[in-house]
Amino acid sequence: MISPSRFAERLLTVVVRDPEWRDGVIGDLREEHAKLVGRLGATRARRWHLQQSVGIAARYGVHRLLRRQTPPRRWLAAAAQDPDGSWTAGFSRDVLYAWRAVVQRPALSGAVVLTLAVALAANATTFSLMDAMVLRPYRFPGVDRLIVAATSANPVMLDIESVARGDFRDWQRESRTVKQWAAYEWWDANLSGVEIPEQVPGFKVSPGFFSTLGVNLAAGREFLPDEAEPGAHRRAVLGHALWTRRFAADPAIVGRSVRLDGEPFEVVGIAPEGFQIPLGAQVWAPLAHDAAAWDDRRRAFLTVIGRLADDATLENARAEITTIVARQRRDFPETNGKREGQVVDFIHGLADPGAGPFMAVWQAAAGLLLLIACANIANLLMARGSERSQEYAVRLALGARRGRLFFQTILEGLFLSSLAIGVSIPLAAVGLGLFRSALPDSVIRFVPGWNFIAVDLRLFVVTAVLGTLAMLVFSLVPAFQATRAHVADSLRQSGRTLTPGRRRGWLSSTLATSQVALALALLFGSGLLLSVADRAVNGALGFDKNNVLIGQVVLPERAYADADKRRQFITSVARGMEQIPAVSDVGMTSNVPAGFSNASRSFLPEGQDLRENEAPVVDFRRVSDGYFAALRIPLLKGRWFDDRDRTDSTPVAVVSTGLAEGYWPGQDPLGRRFKTPIDGEWTTVIGVSGDVVHNWFTRRRDHTVYRPVGQDAPFQMVFTLRTVGDPTALAGDLRRAIAAVDADQPISMLSTLDQLVNERAAGLAFIANSLVVVALIALALSVLGIYSLMAYLTAQRTQEIGVRMALGAGRWQVLRLTTAHALRITTIGTLVGGVLAFGVGRVMQSVLFGLVSTNLWQLMVLIAILAMAALLAAYIPARRASRIDPMIALRES
Amino acid sequence: MPPIYLGEFEYAVLLATLHLDQEAYAVPVRELIEARTNRPVARGALYTALDRLEGKGCVRSRMGDSTEERGGKARRYFTVTAAGLKAIRATHLALASMTRGLETLLEQS
Repeated sequence: MISPSRFAERLLTVVVRDPEWRDGVIGDLREEHAKLVGRLGATRARRWHLQQSVGIAARYGVHRLLRRQTPPRRWLAAAAQDPDGSWTAGFSRDVLYAWRAVVQRPALSGAVVLTLAVALAANATTFSLMDAMVLRPYRFPGVDRLIVAATSANPVMLDIESVARGDFRDWQRESRTVKQWAAYEWWDANLSGVEIPEQVPGFKVSPGFFSTLGVNLAAGREFLPDEAEPGAHRRAVLGHALWTRRFAADPAIVGRSVRLDGEPFEVVGIAPEGFQIPLGAQVWAPLAHDAAAWDDRRRAFLTVIGRLADDATLENARAEITTIVARQRRDFPETNGKREGQVVDFIHGLADPGAGPFMAVWQAAAGLLLLIACANIANLLMARGSERSQEYAVRLALGARRGRLFFQTILEGLFLSSLAIGVSIPLAAVGLGLFRSALPDSVIRFVPGWNFIAVDLRLFVVTAVLGTLAMLVFSLVPAFQATRAHVADSLRQSGRTLTPGRRRGWLSSTLATSQVALALALLFGSGLLLSVADRAVNGALGFDKNNVLIGQVVLPERAYADADKRRQFITSVARGMEQIPAVSDVGMTSNVPAGFSNASRSFLPEGQDLRENEAPVVDFRRVSDGYFAALRIPLLKGRWFDDRDRTDSTPVAVVSTGLAEGYWPGQDPLGRRFKTPIDGEWTTVIGVSGDVVHNWFTRRRDHTVYRPVGQDAPFQMVFTLRTVGDPTALAGDLRRAIAAVDADQPISMLSTLDQLVNERAAGLAFIANSLVVVALIALALSVLGIYSLMAYLTAQRTQEIGVRMALGAGRWQVLRLTTAHALRITTIGTLVGGVLAFGVGRVMQSVLFGLVSTNLWQLMVLIAILAMAALLAAYIPARRASRIDPMIALRES
Repeated sequence: MPPIYLGEFEYAVLLATLHLDQEAYAVPVRELIEARTNRPVARGALYTALDRLEGKGCVRSRMGDSTEERGGKARRYFTVTAAGLKAIRATHLALASMTRGLETLLEQS
């Protein structure tokens, strides 16, 4: 006879404990298997047998587990009844008792499991996000040997795009601790010569970029040193995703040329799948400059990475770079005067700078939730422990050892925590799924590690450890309670119960009080964040974001080197759009508010003697005449740009009112002059505009200088069209208007201004919303905590209440007696919570760039809500107590 | 004692057991249900149902003979008990009373 799978039968032997059932099931399967061998052949019959066995084992196993008086209880019971007194027998008995204690109070166990599961899920979700985005956003071999070096002026804020080419060259020559250097700079390339031109996220990188990272290309080679010479630099490495999407993953593309920024670039390699460093890059080209440009120390925009030498550490590299930068500071005081050397590890350097603080806020919230949950659970467990004090006393009287009781209580806790861990993982998976779908693609590009957000083993381990630890700690209280039981006292108390022991009552009340306090702090904190998010989207922005269609074009430098040509492009597109009746205003700006790019320059007002490196940095915009009208930015003084502002007339500018008040306080800004180091010419202020918020996290109203396109035409431009009705309906028209002027120009960021503002704050809004959910859960938990405590305390005092009512106490008095306690808990809880909330507000103010303003009124409302909810929770058991029939209460024991 | 409530699947299992009389063990019971109801029956579900029915006292089981094709493992035969019969009747009557008046409608389909 061909035998079926032995593994399958062994599995069934393990699961089906009853010997008769076991024989029946295994025999049935063998019988059917024997029949199938003839029909299906040995292999398929064997597979069938295995599948069926696993199916039966799973189903039957779960069924038996859930049934009472069945395995594992039955075989545990069998083991427990072993008369030999071995430790296995004792252990089995303990497990059995603990399990019974869990199952016998399904409501209580359910409450504990759910409470813990929700708190664990919140923590697991946060941890997973933290792990993906902050702790390990880059995962490839050797990443721990990589560094990022920078020279930002501000030593606290790390700005990685801050190295001058000349400085980088010095490091390359002099450093001994770093064996290979690479530098890169931003370059969003226009891919044309294909059906729909598109803007591709790209970077110009120094030769050796890929080998410094330790990345092997999927095909072809990386850039050679002589390809960094102007003229030989038209080479490109394509990203795997771009290659698959636009070139059908054709390997023959290597060696052929593609059109980038209107010029032919020879494809020399394809990046491996998933590689998109930095910032979602999909195309790389050599960073090419002539020798003179490589000596430039003025413009500092490079990002520099390096691979440590084999014997060097991060600290060695830091010491060395600091020394070199200090020498550069001495040698070139004009340009390097304020530069400080900074060296950090790769992950720290390239992680999303915003993710850290947010994750910290969220992690703190999740931690608070866990604390609240634990306080709740401790109270529930203690209440149960008190209920069982008689049981403990009896068992002690009959000779049970205290250690045994202790161990059993801990075991109960472990059972509960394993159940909670099991429930929390799917909950966390749902949370992560929500998070993944909450952010738009355009934002995801800027969030390294996004693709690593997933439920993985680490998450499971962290959750399991956290859940087990939390439960262990909070099982300790009832466990000690169990061992401390006084036999005589407890047995005596069972006759006429008084209020429970003073000390125990104190501990429970403290726990409930702290719950209220923590919940209040959490509610307040999440409320603050929500108001920040709301203001970021719906607050006063300084412009009207509604009904504006936007679309960005970046003109290639070579083809549009002539400023007149760029101006012509802008005017032609604008004229094309003005023909459309649904368009009321057409504007153009080099950087749109809430956009992902910004441009800034040093600002040197006339008569205020400032050295270049001391000059304040202001936002710098090149805009068309119609821009202000299209965005409805108000004119406060002077005039807008018009035809008078040409290349051959006086350079003019409009400045924002904040800037005007900052540099010419109390004076008329019109007619004042200023200079930027790049232009070098004196520019005259002809108008003052309203302030505009460029993006929510620099909510200080950005000081802005606007220059007319007529005098200064940019390469990067965003068209802004104010429309009558739905702006998205005109997207096709804008695309056509641009294609009519230059068919090779791709249009990116085609959306509405409203959408852009929303996208910009999407991450914030999501975190704020989820924090509110966390806070509401916390509120629910703490109210539940008060309710269960009060219900328990009231139940304990049933007899006392009976006596009081028999002696003539009225309903109102009983009500007061029982709610007074809750009132005290709530009052102290909200007081402490108020102080905590204030602290949370302060912390959030410092983390969130001073966006938060602590609102006392908001705090008062929250306190009122919390107090009402807490008192309501206390009122229900109190009302029940006040309706007790004294006779029944006295009879109860 | 109030009659035991039967689920639809348990009802089918009990009826099949009745049909097979002395020959009722898991394999033919499953085949019969599948043949008559034209629906696949998971083995795990069947064993679970039989175990539950035994727990409710609706069936009794005994170990039969072992055969060579079963590798020496005995068959576990099931018989419907008096309580099981009562439960079948109760369920049948309940369903019948629910369908009363709908005969024409049900016959058509």
